[in-house]
Amino acid sequence: MAEQSAAGLIGARVRRQEDPRLLTGRAQFVDDVRLPGMLNAAVLRSPVPHARIVRIDVSRALAHPGVYAVVTGDEVRAAVATPQPVIWRMIPDQRMTDGYPLAVGKARYVGQGIAAVAATDRATAEDALELIDVEYDELPAVTTLEEALAEDAPKLYDEWPDNVSCRATIPKGDVEAAFAEADVVVRETFRFARQMGTPLETRGVVATWDPFTDRLDVWLSTQSPNLARDLFGEVLDVSVDKIRVRVPDVGGGFGNKFDFYGEEVVAAILSKRTGRPVKLIEDRLESFVANAHSREQKVEVELAATSDGRITGLRGTVYAVLGGQLATVGIGPCWLTAALMSGPYDIANVEASVVGVVTNRSPYGSYRGWGQPKSNFAHERMVDLLARRLDMDPLDVRRKNLIPADAFPYASPVFFYDGGRYDECLGLATDAVRDRGWLRRRDEARGSGRTVGIGYSFHVEITALGPSRIMNMAGLQHSAFDEEVVRIDSSGRVTVYTGQTALGQGIQTALAQVAAEQLGVPLDDVTVVVGDTDTCPYTGYGTGASRAASLGGGAVLTASKRLKEKVLRIAGGMLEAAPEDLVVADGRISVVGVPDRSVSMAEIGDAAYRRINGRLPEDEVPTLEEREVFDPPNVAFSYGCTAVLADVDRETGEVRLLDYLIAHDCGTVINPLIVDGQLHGGAAQAIGGALYEELVYGPDGQIQTTTFMDYLMPTASEIPAFELLHMETPAEHIPGGFKGMGEGGTIGGAAAIAGAVDDALADLGVATVALPITPPRLLAAMRNGQVQA
Amino acid sequence: MKAAAFDYHRATSVDDAIQQLGAADDAKVLAGGQSLVPLLAMRLARPTVLVDLNRLADLAYVRRENGELAIGALTRHRTVETAELVRRDVPLLADALAHVGHVTIRNRGTIGGSIAHGDPAAELPAVAVALDATFRLRGPGGERSVAAGDFFFGYLMTALEPDELLTEIRWPVLPQGTGCAVEELTRRNGDFALVAVFAALTMGADGVCTQARISVAGAAAAPLRADNAEQALIGSRVSAADAGAAADRLAAATDPPNDIHAPADYRREMAAVLGRRAIQRAWAQANRTNAGE
Amino acid sequence: MSDHVNGAAEGTVANKVPVTITVNGRTHRADCEPRTTLADFLREDLGYTGVHLGCEHGVCGACTVQLDGSTARSCCMLAVQADGSEVTTVEGLAEDGQLHPLQEAFWNRHGLQCGFCTPGMLMTACELLADNPDPSAEEIREGISGNLCRCTGYQFIVESIQEAAPKMRPAT
Repeated sequence: MAEQSAAGLIGARVRRQEDPRLLTGRAQFVDDVRLPGMLNAAVLRSPVPHARIVRIDVSRALAHPGVYAVVTGDEVRAAVATPQPVIWRMIPDQRMTDGYPLAVGKARYVGQGIAAVAATDRATAEDALELIDVEYDELPAVTTLEEALAEDAPKLYDEWPDNVSCRATIPKGDVEAAFAEADVVVRETFRFARQMGTPLETRGVVATWDPFTDRLDVWLSTQSPNLARDLFGEVLDVSVDKIRVRVPDVGGGFGNKFDFYGEEVVAAILSKRTGRPVKLIEDRLESFVANAHSREQKVEVELAATSDGRITGLRGTVYAVLGGQLATVGIGPCWLTAALMSGPYDIANVEASVVGVVTNRSPYGSYRGWGQPKSNFAHERMVDLLARRLDMDPLDVRRKNLIPADAFPYASPVFFYDGGRYDECLGLATDAVRDRGWLRRRDEARGSGRTVGIGYSFHVEITALGPSRIMNMAGLQHSAFDEEVVRIDSSGRVTVYTGQTALGQGIQTALAQVAAEQLGVPLDDVTVVVGDTDTCPYTGYGTGASRAASLGGGAVLTASKRLKEKVLRIAGGMLEAAPEDLVVADGRISVVGVPDRSVSMAEIGDAAYRRINGRLPEDEVPTLEEREVFDPPNVAFSYGCTAVLADVDRETGEVRLLDYLIAHDCGTVINPLIVDGQLHGGAAQAIGGALYEELVYGPDGQIQTTTFMDYLMPTASEIPAFELLHMETPAEHIPGGFKGMGEGGTIGGAAAIAGAVDDALADLGVATVALPITPPRLLAAMRNGQVQA
Repeated sequence: MKAAAFDYHRATSVDDAIQQLGAADDAKVLAGGQSLVPLLAMRLARPTVLVDLNRLADLAYVRRENGELAIGALTRHRTVETAELVRRDVPLLADALAHVGHVTIRNRGTIGGSIAHGDPAAELPAVAVALDATFRLRGPGGERSVAAGDFFFGYLMTALEPDELLTEIRWPVLPQGTGCAVEELTRRNGDFALVAVFAALTMGADGVCTQARISVAGAAAAPLRADNAEQALIGSRVSAADAGAAADRLAAATDPPNDIHAPADYRREMAAVLGRRAIQRAWAQANRTNAGE
Repeated sequence: MSDHVNGAAEGTVANKVPVTITVNGRTHRADCEPRTTLADFLREDLGYTGVHLGCEHGVCGACTVQLDGSTARSCCMLAVQADGSEVTTVEGLAEDGQLHPLQEAFWNRHGLQCGFCTPGMLMTACELLADNPDPSAEEIREGISGNLCRCTGYQFIVESIQEAAPKMRPAT
């Protein structure tokens, strides 16, 4: 690509370094990894939602030609030191499910792993699965929240008193008083369907566990290689120096690849047993039961307000419809729904509770946005309903209650919001709505018999997850700092080593931009190395929670600054000038005002690594490398306003999105192209969640959506063009001022769409309280007022 | 998702294919493969032998014969969709094909495969029923013709015997003054329709409907011919009220499935909505055709 | 090849079928089981790992290739069916180290994020522009609606195809 000058690279709309390999078919995804002697594995999954496993006979499978090994749940349990780890433990007295990589004793959901086969190829492994005989003693299943909470409900865990894993309440102020004194109280209950991140590349692992040296070498499609390495160590009782996790190109994560799955452990055990590398790739059918599900909740909310629309109190309860066992993130996402239920609003009195309930469904894990799409839907829908009750413009209710710009840092029930100009952001959106003629379009459509509505939502997005000590206090069994290494080599080129994972979000380009600008080199002179715990530094947590660009960018910026100081000291010696009289541009260091007196970065590299004598100052050590560990003092909150213009077909109940805009602030923007792409993609997932996607279970506990014909991810024809509006309020506590923004598009979409649908059907009094809004449900709502699940 | 093992036979002629189909217990015909190969991968279809027709080039053609359009069973969807003869003589077929999946699927999928698969939610069986197409079948005992109306009788169930092959579909040419419309309700572009209505209405010189051909997909265990709606329209001027009344009759005749995408009641109600829209749109087109536009 | 191949009787090893196929101009000959899909054959036996498997049931479009001049989903075909065919995969788009105009446009316009759907998306876009050299945004959306992308929200893909269209039009 064309040489880009370093100046102004932070904020430059440059195309990505990742793309040539991805565009030409030269990328390497985990299923492209082929090792000598490699076997392929497949997992036998439970066909029943709840059963005792009476007997497993693997003899026929073992005798099948091409089969190398078969393992059962009991054998896996004997091979591991601990149950599958749950790293988020916000609620100290939570009952843990202590699940193993394959079911032990009992199967608790359809699709739970029962046994696994390693064979010459995947087809043979699948042939062998059909030869495993399992005798199940079926038990009554609890397939819904209501069934699980019913008195005398069948219990998933015999030793528990009921199916409740945890309860906790997050208080702020005096909620009782707020409701006692309120002019109006609005109550509503919201339901969210099961959905999942559904990256187009399914999960996969290639494990080589040497039985003689105990070295475990893993290729893993993951968002969290350091976490995975540590958890492999815990579960397999191997010290982490013997474990290497490499992450190839990752075909999308969206939270699904944050968690640490049982199959990863199974592949390692099969490798040790066979003495060969073992590949285990989840196929699409099993992805619908073996991937962590998400989103499914019931949320009850009450608002207390004055008659002029000032919100004085909020009370809510989140019922988390957990699965048959806890996933890696435990109650985390559902706890976050409660923790952020007041969203962007200045509400003095808040009480939010979470109740975690186990059911005979797949485990509940991470999906882009974590708990936030639900908390956002709850507070935004409540604001709309309050406005309806008071006969006010919902925008006026928002303006009246948004946290004012001078109130930051603002203490919400759990988090300190660092800063923002919320009211200005709302104004940016409403101005754009006006300029794009939405009001006229709505009125004209109504005049011609069509039904068009406008909806808004305002969201906050927690990003830059840290600091480690506070997160540990909150219950995280892991750290949340980020470490980055910046090196200039002997040819003067720059390499950044990062523990963050490249999964399509453009982190390699973003970090390269930060390093290039700081060091004064062309962007193409910077390479960013990702995806290897042996060579890359440690990042706490992983690439999730919108941390990578913010914390990684901050750390790279600081490391690069220090590295540049050394470069200038060396150059000062070579040019006989004081470092403060030097400037760096396009990879050359020159004396201010005397451009002819200069050295190149290549000469500096040579002086630091090779021909040192007489060129590297006596008091400098050779090499050019800096390492920065950044444990942020606080998280950073991005925010935005989504506005949607939607058309509803009153005869069919179909919703068509006519226009869609997002006003957004994520602090200093590193690359607007990437930010736009993230917002687009997030919004498309919000649209999928609002209108299309649902993992459906039948009353028998069987999942009914196991193909892309049944789980409806939107195509290009269902997604509108997006209009984006940006503002930049740098984060003061993060070097560079970067906030994260990977999840923002996903958080606010559903509430704005629901608002637009309700507005279109205002004459019918429709209130959308459940997702997704499908045509049959919407048509029913037009007749009875509420969109119900 | 890897298929269970099977034997593979590449048919060298129609007779060879028929012989192979008769020789094995559980043989299956491989044509376009767009439905079958995924079913194999899911191990929902487990034939002992696959008989591949794809080299039978003489089964791929579109030609006018005896006042009908004859289409070879192995002709690809995309070929039929874009054939000038089809656009001119049986435009409803071309319109319906544009709704079958996506171009990439239509590049491979075959006309005969879609008919023989007999999916009641699919476009081709429903259009064949609406237009009174006839199917030529060949088996060990020779050849026979079956009318579309007698061919489909249950979910994925047809009159085709296990050792018979569908070789040709014959379509009556639609008369001058005919307007066509396809109305589909899909959740996403390219999906199988929740309900779809196919209509071809012919306007006589006096502005009265002289012929109506209407069918519904996704409305019952087999594609549904809406003859009660057709009868209501013939002889009328297809006013908005006529269209609505005919569509209500059409909907009343449906017995739709209940599944995760839509309840039966919703589908029935949508059959009325789409029926009315299809009738009105087809009639408007017939009007334009008669006006010489 | 012979016209009849025994796939595998219960518990025995399958007979393999020789398949000759030309991929991106190079002719390959390899043996595979009858049940092997074209996608698996291209990936596993011939090393064309740019062909991606996103669903293996003909919905996502990631495995789309050109087969004898028109697009096909390589997961919905058996390798034996492609015997004697010419296939183009994403690896065959760039020539002499020069990116294809669509590849260049996807790069300029950020038409990809994780890149997993990209090979199929590019192959579909090639055919779309060959059939319709000057498509509207809506026609592009319709044309790529058989290719699922979970990352981009499609907008930059649409813009990429719009940018490439004039460069691919035959000079008039």
